[in-house]
Amino acid sequence: MLFNSLSFIVFLVIVLALYYSKIFNWTNKKRMLLLASYVFYGLWNPPLVVLLWISTIVDWTAGNKLAVETNQRKRKLWLMLSLFVNLGFLAFFKYRDFLLDNFTAAVNSYGYGYEAQPMDIILPMGISFYTFQTMSYTIDMYKRKTERARTFLDFALYVTFFPQLVAGPIVRAQDLITQFYEEKKASVNQFLWGVFLLTIGLFQKVVLADTLLADTSDKVFGSQKILNTLDAWTGTLAFSGQIFFDFAGYSTCAIGIALMLGIILPDNFKYPYASIGFSDLWRRWHITLSTWLRDYLYIPLGGNRFGIARMYAALMITMLLGGLWHGAAWTFVIWGALHGLYLIIERMLRSKIHIKINAFNGIILALLTYIMVNFTWVFFRAREFSVAKNMLSSMLFLNDEGEKIIATFDVFKVFVLISFLFISHWLMRNTSLKAVSLKISPVVLGIFWALMLFLIVISQGSGEQFIYFQF
Amino acid sequence: MKIKTSFIIALVIGLLCITSWELYWRSQGYFPDLDDDKYLWARTRAKVDNASKDDVVLTGSSRVLFNIQVPKWKELTGIQPIQLANAGATPLPVFHDIVENTDFKGTVIVGVTPGLFFSTTFEQAPPWRRAASRSEFYDNRTYAQRLNYALSIPLQNSLAFISNDDEKWHDDINLKALLNTIEWADRNDRANDPPFYRFQDIDINRNVRMKNRMLTDTTFANSVKTIWKFFMSGDKPPPDKDSTIAFFVEDAKKFTARGGQVILLRNPSDGFFKDLESKGLPRDKFWEELVAKANVPAYHYQDYKSLSAFETVEWSHLSASDADQFTENFVHILLEDGLITNLKTN
Repeated sequence: MLFNSLSFIVFLVIVLALYYSKIFNWTNKKRMLLLASYVFYGLWNPPLVVLLWISTIVDWTAGNKLAVETNQRKRKLWLMLSLFVNLGFLAFFKYRDFLLDNFTAAVNSYGYGYEAQPMDIILPMGISFYTFQTMSYTIDMYKRKTERARTFLDFALYVTFFPQLVAGPIVRAQDLITQFYEEKKASVNQFLWGVFLLTIGLFQKVVLADTLLADTSDKVFGSQKILNTLDAWTGTLAFSGQIFFDFAGYSTCAIGIALMLGIILPDNFKYPYASIGFSDLWRRWHITLSTWLRDYLYIPLGGNRFGIARMYAALMITMLLGGLWHGAAWTFVIWGALHGLYLIIERMLRSKIHIKINAFNGIILALLTYIMVNFTWVFFRAREFSVAKNMLSSMLFLNDEGEKIIATFDVFKVFVLISFLFISHWLMRNTSLKAVSLKISPVVLGIFWALMLFLIVISQGSGEQFIYFQF
Repeated sequence: MKIKTSFIIALVIGLLCITSWELYWRSQGYFPDLDDDKYLWARTRAKVDNASKDDVVLTGSSRVLFNIQVPKWKELTGIQPIQLANAGATPLPVFHDIVENTDFKGTVIVGVTPGLFFSTTFEQAPPWRRAASRSEFYDNRTYAQRLNYALSIPLQNSLAFISNDDEKWHDDINLKALLNTIEWADRNDRANDPPFYRFQDIDINRNVRMKNRMLTDTTFANSVKTIWKFFMSGDKPPPDKDSTIAFFVEDAKKFTARGGQVILLRNPSDGFFKDLESKGLPRDKFWEELVAKANVPAYHYQDYKSLSAFETVEWSHLSASDADQFTENFVHILLEDGLITNLKTN
């Protein structure tokens, strides 16, 4: 089920009515939320709910054993079981064809005529999100960083909580399970703030991403032609906006919906396109994934504890795997590699050049960071290297005679919108939506809110998928 | 308190804006109606899975959509045909889907618009893709999508401003469509494509009727003629007669072998299209060969006085009243030939 759909509105109204009715006690409310979460997921593809159940049962069992087991070898085995099941699901459903294709290509490069049969396996929606979330529980249990969930219901709800089930934010056990222990109820202000966040999220998705940017991005990246520089940049900038509004929109909806239930979810985006440098970017973009990768991959790989060379290697491996997490294709690996490279270069430069950031050089550096990020988006969006190569050469002014496929008004629309996006991120860089909303008049906020509602309604999005569901 | 005030203001202004938007578009002649989209097509396609031997499925291109009137057919025979024709598409993938993925053993009427039927069997070509993508959507649609569509029907039937047709008409009034009507001088110095206005209405049974405006507003009717000429301009791939006929005949044989019945129908065309079809896809070389190889009942409008007594409004489709008469005449022919069931007399 999608947040930007009629069925979700009906679903949410029913869930909220049951949640705030007096017919259930807290345990039954949690049961109702769990059942609702399975319905939310199952309305997409009912049989794949079984994967959620397996993940839940395996990690609940492993967590319980890790809580009481003292034998280190057995503890490691329980952890390995959890990792094997969750990463096994990922490998089978997400990476099987990719691994098979590469194996076939490698074997055939030695002259064998091997042909693999693609299985056309359906990719379970949000599998990368919920497997990472549930793995964090068993890893934290293994490291004794978190308490065992008190009941199976609390744990199952942690794995399946519908607002963030299919595209995050990826929440740590200690941050979410503990919220389920005591009855939660949003105050009127919290509830309305949740509705406001839901409106902003839908506005980002339906109006900004789908209505204003998606077509331009799809047209440019779907073209097999060598494009004019302006067209290539327009398409890439449109995608940079589309993916931000799509994904940040989903996260904002998730946070808002959870807040309507009195549950707090962590921020996932903090105005990333105003980042100064790439370390800053990863503290602002998809925060819950980057902190997951930091805590469960970068630090275990050695982090910055074993010298510079090891740190660079850990950074690069983390970003390569981060790229692969997004999709089973070499273009995503290159996307991760570019980010790894950027981070390494930035750390090298920082040890040699010391710049005091002020408003003037800050915005220049932020713009430079944003431009560099756009080069990585080309690999993220292009389905083939040939498209990425053509796009990059056009963006680097190497195709003077490239074809113009984007209409004048669409170029204007994208540049205005992206300029607005960049400037608003810069202005919001050191503050928050909540802080700004408290400063402005309630009438102005109300008018802005009404305008968003109106634009969502007249956009009439077709309820198609969020980009990050495929990851 | 502050957020409560903002919420109330948002609710009041938001509702006022939406109401004004609705009233404005109604004042411009828009009224609540359904869109011809993949959701409605899939809802209709689902009926084939439970259809009986007496049922009739209509496949083809827009000429079948416009010319065969579902309520009229039901009035005459007691059977409501299942309308699965797709505008601008070849019927081959839809017929193939029925043959391969259902147990249907009733009657399938296949409309033959020569330029589309004989166009291609290449799966990525637009005439194929337009139809096949709907069959694929039917196979893959989720329960959530079904629920969304069921919930959208009362909204589409109540609000004029909801318009999100798959065809993406020039006069659609969702935000994206409205922005697309902004025309600035193109960077390529290319002329903008002529506008394609929606010239028909569709109901929940996918019954399509031409808008009356096509008869009363010559400029409007001419805009559709301009579009047909625009679509037919430039280099087009040649027809692929052998592949299309072979593909259809194989499916037709399989379908008749399991007890089903296939009927071919060539709808009327005039003027520009008639010239184009008679020169590029002459009857003797295309239609006759198809009929001979398929060996199924076939009806060419030129062979029947009662089917050729109509003039198409924009060279390709009949007006709503003519479509009623055409349907009635065609049903009478089929009944006389004993090819379809009349539940009203049996």
